[in-house]
Amino acid sequence: MILLIVLAAIALIAIMVYNGLIRKKNEVDNAFGGIDVQLKKRYDLIPNLVATVQQYASHEKELLEKITQLRAKAIGGNLSNDEKVDLDNQISGALRSIMVSVENYPDLKASENFLNLQRSLNEVESQISAARRAYNAAVTDFNNGIETFPGNLMAGMMGLTRKQVFEIPEAERQNVNVKDLFKS
Amino acid sequence: MSDIQRIYHENIEPKLESLNVRRKALQNHYFIAILGIVGTILLIVILANSGVGILLLPVIGLVVFVVIRFIKISRLSKEYRADFKANVVAEIVKAVNPSWTYEPDNMIGQEVYWQSDLFRTKYDRYKGDDLVKGVIEKTDFECSELHTEYKEVTYDSKGRRRERWVTIFRGLFFHADFNKEFMGRTYVSPDVAEKMFGKFGQKFQKFTGPAPLVKLENVEFEKEFVVHATDQIEARYILTPTIMEAILRIKQQYNTQVHFSFVGSRVYCALSINRNLFEPKIFGQVVNLSEIENMYSLFKVNEVIIHELNLNTRIWTKE
Repeated sequence: MILLIVLAAIALIAIMVYNGLIRKKNEVDNAFGGIDVQLKKRYDLIPNLVATVQQYASHEKELLEKITQLRAKAIGGNLSNDEKVDLDNQISGALRSIMVSVENYPDLKASENFLNLQRSLNEVESQISAARRAYNAAVTDFNNGIETFPGNLMAGMMGLTRKQVFEIPEAERQNVNVKDLFKS
Repeated sequence: MSDIQRIYHENIEPKLESLNVRRKALQNHYFIAILGIVGTILLIVILANSGVGILLLPVIGLVVFVVIRFIKISRLSKEYRADFKANVVAEIVKAVNPSWTYEPDNMIGQEVYWQSDLFRTKYDRYKGDDLVKGVIEKTDFECSELHTEYKEVTYDSKGRRRERWVTIFRGLFFHADFNKEFMGRTYVSPDVAEKMFGKFGQKFQKFTGPAPLVKLENVEFEKEFVVHATDQIEARYILTPTIMEAILRIKQQYNTQVHFSFVGSRVYCALSINRNLFEPKIFGQVVNLSEIENMYSLFKVNEVIIHELNLNTRIWTKE
């Protein structure tokens, strides 16, 4: 009788741990979905931005072409999560260089259309960074779940492995060097 | 000499003299009223011992006298308080920012209190005063003293009914435009459970609270506050690393329990302060410099929150 109770208790705990880990795993997927939504929003803004900048800044053709290409690749689909992250970093970099070169075109900088775009981009950027932080929190929770007892006993059997948290791209972490902006 | 010291000497001190006259008059009335009560009790005791009926008349006379005194005291207190608010508190508000309006007898509306969703206990009594309204650059705000309570009725072993008023919130209540339309609700509350019960308390917070728990990266912030939100991403969108630091600074500066909520397009903030604010004293000096400075710093909270949360940097729009 006692043996039966103990076995039942162990089974119950195992089920709870299993469910807990699955829930954590789904939360991570869900959080990545959150980032995806925001990235998509940013892709939608790019054609508009390119069109606006083109009107005023014909010299920046190369930069605009590059960002159009990156966008095409990003919405092309069939990308792994890591590839998405990598592309996203490249797009962030390209957008930053556009914002810097805009400084040379006072008319563009003052145009209503551009100001609106800049505001929308700012908004999307802060949404993306919030989504990234939500993802990191979900991943940390998941990693804690599979590496601490008793989750670690189950995680091996379930084939769950540690996930990587988002890291801020090297370029974003550096302070802006004003001197570099005026080179070239 | 700081701003508020100069204002104290130039604008407030000259008015204190007339206030002091009122205060002394009030004090005298109190003294006489208390004497009347003592006299009544003495007479009743004498009456009970001697059984002389003739003394009943003076007792009734004395009771009437005391009642009249107290009616007078209540009227004088109101005048004294109004005088104090108009000449001292209004001056302090003006010193913080001359464009703000100050209404001594008005308070934050009950609908705003409910919208904030900071305190979800149903109240039976809603009191408040000292409403300050204004606009700092582009951000409009409102702030007042509030006190909400509910009535607790208990029965003891003998079945006797006992009533007790329990405070839900007492202190300064503030709300301002955040210039962003929120889809969900985000709550920042003092972390009581985790402080008392540690890790176990955090587990507890998962099941309680108005919305799912949000764990943030700032360790110091997590130690002081617990965050609940209906939308995990939006919570982080609002509580950026900078905002978390700002909320911590607000808490350190006022050194009291601080609640925040972000609902609709507004930020709500409640600072718990367990005493009646911006009131004159009847016994002792009307007001002294340190009390004035204290009031000044409390009114300043409007500015502090708006600046710390950077509500005037309008890089976001509501669309």
